[in-house]
Order: sequence, then structure tokens, then C-alpha cells
Amino acid sequence: MTDKKQKSTRVVKVFRYDPEVGGEGHFDRFELNIEDESITTVLDLLLRIQKEHDPTLAFRYSCRISMCGSCGMVVNGKEALACQTTVINLQKGDITIRPLNHFPVIRDLVVDMDPFFKSMDNALSFFEPADDSPEPALIRPDSKERRLIEYYTECIGCGCCVSACTMAHWYEDYPGPAALNRAFTLLLDSRDKLNEERMSQVLAGCYNCRSELNCTEVCPKHISPTRSLKYIQLLAAKQPFKKVDVVDMEDKTKEAAPEIPAEVITPEVSRRSFMSRMTLAISGLMAVIIGGIMSVTALVPAMRKRQEKWVKVGSVDEFPEGVVKTVPINYTVKDGIYESTVTKPVFVRRETESGEITVFNSRCTHLACVLHWDDKKQLFLCDCHGGQFYPDGRVKAGPPPRAMDRYQTTVKNGNILVREA
Amino acid sequence: MEQNDNIQYRSPLKRGELDPNRWRNTQIGMWAWLWQRISALAIIAFLGIHLTLPYRPLIQFLLLITVTFHVVLGLRVILMDFGIVHAKYQKALLGGLAAVGAIMFIIVWTGIY
Repeated sequence: MTDKKQKSTRVVKVFRYDPEVGGEGHFDRFELNIEDESITTVLDLLLRIQKEHDPTLAFRYSCRISMCGSCGMVVNGKEALACQTTVINLQKGDITIRPLNHFPVIRDLVVDMDPFFKSMDNALSFFEPADDSPEPALIRPDSKERRLIEYYTECIGCGCCVSACTMAHWYEDYPGPAALNRAFTLLLDSRDKLNEERMSQVLAGCYNCRSELNCTEVCPKHISPTRSLKYIQLLAAKQPFKKVDVVDMEDKTKEAAPEIPAEVITPEVSRRSFMSRMTLAISGLMAVIIGGIMSVTALVPAMRKRQEKWVKVGSVDEFPEGVVKTVPINYTVKDGIYESTVTKPVFVRRETESGEITVFNSRCTHLACVLHWDDKKQLFLCDCHGGQFYPDGRVKAGPPPRAMDRYQTTVKNGNILVREA
Repeated sequence: MEQNDNIQYRSPLKRGELDPNRWRNTQIGMWAWLWQRISALAIIAFLGIHLTLPYRPLIQFLLLITVTFHVVLGLRVILMDFGIVHAKYQKALLGGLAAVGAIMFIIVWTGIY
């Protein structure tokens, strides 16, 4: 074991900020010989720097066993507890140590955690018993609420999640992952009284989450605040709650606030009411658009004047008088963007004396089977149900309800044309 | 906090600020968020092209692939929002959904052509 020591020399770059000098801050470089990387933590490095190189280096730590949450900082760009991070698990090369993001820097690696505790306060992060019974409450370990809360009460308030959360930067009033996780554990607690108050305080903030899950990635206690705040949203959807106005915890400088004339105060639009209004407006717009498109597509083809289509059957000379002939007609049909060719048979009959031309539809008027001309019987016959028609189209026998359909016919330049709808 | 009044704080740092490995430290969830927005815009563009120039295999291919991508990222959020998949499995969830999306894409594409 002893000969497997991970000996190395590392450059440690530590962020420095002196409140008396001000400015943006800078990085100081320290070169450290590390005896064994596998048993050296980032906190060890900082303590060594303070002892051996620069006693003015400021950082917080307390328990050294990752349970107090004081040594949260950004190591190589990722939030971590300095006492929990061993050097061997960091990538090779320089080690960069920065204070937590999204908190004002007091000095070097020490940040002002005030915003963190304020948002904890606003989320009503304390337990308020629903009844004043002195008996201990019994919550079974296998009860639903206990299983849902999991170990999420283990948050040590180190602020790593708030530092990793990009939304904490963009939304100033965002409660942040830690406060919402705390609210989640209390909202599920059946013994707690402040359910509606807490929900009123935190729900709007939950919607600022963009599911980037950075908080889940960095939490030293392996809590997923994303899951917590999503569950708060789910709770709000499952059981409607009455919005309760919570008196500000700190009672912010009441007397200092200038009195605002009533007409200047604009009614505050909450995210919830904004969303419901927007949903209504968008639904209305969608209904109008979709309804418009549907009614136009339904009505316009019916109102549009059909173009008259005359189809050539053949020249008049092809049809001797007194004879019924079956001929096919061809024409194209346009349906939307498709074009198709239709071929169907028609019966052409030329009168013996008048020479009048009649063109019959070849479909039986009973159930639209195709008829055929029987030259021997001098009848149109239907094979389906035995319908029979005379040469002039009248019904002779069978189920057909009416005479055969005729086409509107005209003769142009010696050609017979029929009108196809 | 009276004792802090004469101390000059440095304004809060931003995530990624002064981070030499900023891109490496951009987490998978951040990429998922970003690419879902980009794919949404791409869908609008490709859908517009698809409607004006229908039945072009290249445009159909691009539209289908962006829609699949967008669906995969959307399902990731939906499944976690409703607590169907625990957020701690987010990486496996994204990988699994991407695999299902790729298979569905191949099935649909080979079905068309």
C-alpha cells in the first residue's frame, strides 16, 4: 500500500480578493508538492497554502467531514466541498479554486451567504406543527410521504446548487434549488401546518427552472433539487391551493418606504394568472386559425363553380342508326395536386328515324353494377341482381328503382361529346 | 449586518466566469436545454421549406431528424417533470431516449424509402 503513493507537484491557482483594495480580484499561483494525492483533499491544500505560503488567505471550513457545508467552493469549474474533494479525482494539471458563484465575495474564497438564507426564509424553511400534541408524531418509514421525501432532508446548506444553477443568475427572485428542496420536504410533511402559505411562496419560483440539472450534478449529498421543485409543481397541479399572502419575514424597512399613490400601483400579474391568460389567448387564436382553415377547405370547393367538362365519345359516323354500342371514354380528373385518368364504358344509341343520339351511363341505377348490352335480347342487363332495361333506358324488370341515367350530349364538328361532372 | 457596511464586496461571480475549462464544465443538461431550443427553431425553418417544396428526400430527412431530436429532448423533460423517471437517472434517461429515437428514426426512414 505504502509504495503506491500518488506523489506529485501541482500548481494551485486560488482566487484572491481584498475588500480594502477592491477591483475584480485575481488568481495567485502556488506550487505544492503533494505526498499522496489519494489522501489529500482540496481543503488540505488550502490549509497548507495558508500555513506555508500566505497566512492572509481567507476561506471557510469547519467539520472536515462534509456535514457542515461551510467549505463549498468552485474547484476546476465545478462546485464541491473542499473537504470532500480528493486531489486524485481532479483532472491532471493546474487546480483552480474559486469562491461560489451568485454570492457577493467578501474576501478570497469567502462569500456572503445572506441571499441563500433569505431565500430559505422566504420559502418558510421551518417546521410548524399542525397540532400541539406533545406526543411524537408517527410517520411510518414505508409511508408514501416518507418514501417520496427520501433522504432529501439531508441538505447541509452549502450553497453549491445555487452556485451551479444558471437560473439563479438570470432570475434575481428565484428561490434557488436548496430553498425549493427544503420547501419540498416540508410540503410533503403531513405534520406541517403551513402548506398553503409555503406553496404560495415558492410555486412561482419553481417555473424558473430549465431542467439543466446542474444542481443535481454538484450536490455533495446527492440530492436532486430539480426533482424536488418539479414535484412541487406536480403537487400544485394535483391539489389546488388557496393563495395566502405571507407577511415578509424581515419586515423590510416599513417606515422608509415612500408611500405610493394608489393610481401608480399597477395590479401585479402573477405567473399563474399570466399563464392562464396566455393559454386562453393562444387557444382562442388557434381555434380561430384552425376553424378558419377548416371552414375554408370545407366550403370553398362546394361554392366554387365547376368547370364544365365535355368528353369526346367518338365521331357520329361510328354509330350506325338503331344500334347500341359500348365505347370507353377517357378523361383526367384533378384532385388537389393529384391528376388521374378515368376510363369507363358508356352506351351510345342512335335512333333509327330521328338520328337522335342518347348516351347512357353504364352503371345500374340499383347498386351501381356495370351493365352490359345484350344484342340478342335487345336489353341492357345487370349481372348483379338481374336488373333489365329497355333500349331507351326504361326499367323492364328487376330491382332498379328508375330508368338508366343519361349524359347531357351534344354534337360538335361531327363528334359526340358528353358532359362529365 | 451593520458591521458589513464599510466592507466593499466583489459583485457575485457568474457560472463559468474565470473558468479555464468552461466548455468541459458545461453539463449535459445545459446542452440538452440549448439544443432543444435550437432544434425548435430548425423545425420551424425545415417545416416551412417542407411545405413549400414537398416530397424532397433531403428536406424530409432533415425535418425528420430535427423532429426526432426535439422529441427526445422534450420527452426527457416531460418524464422528469411528472416524476416518472427519477432526476438522478437523467444521463441514462437521455442516452436511452436518444437510442430509442435513433431506432425510431431508422424504422420510419426505411419505411418511407
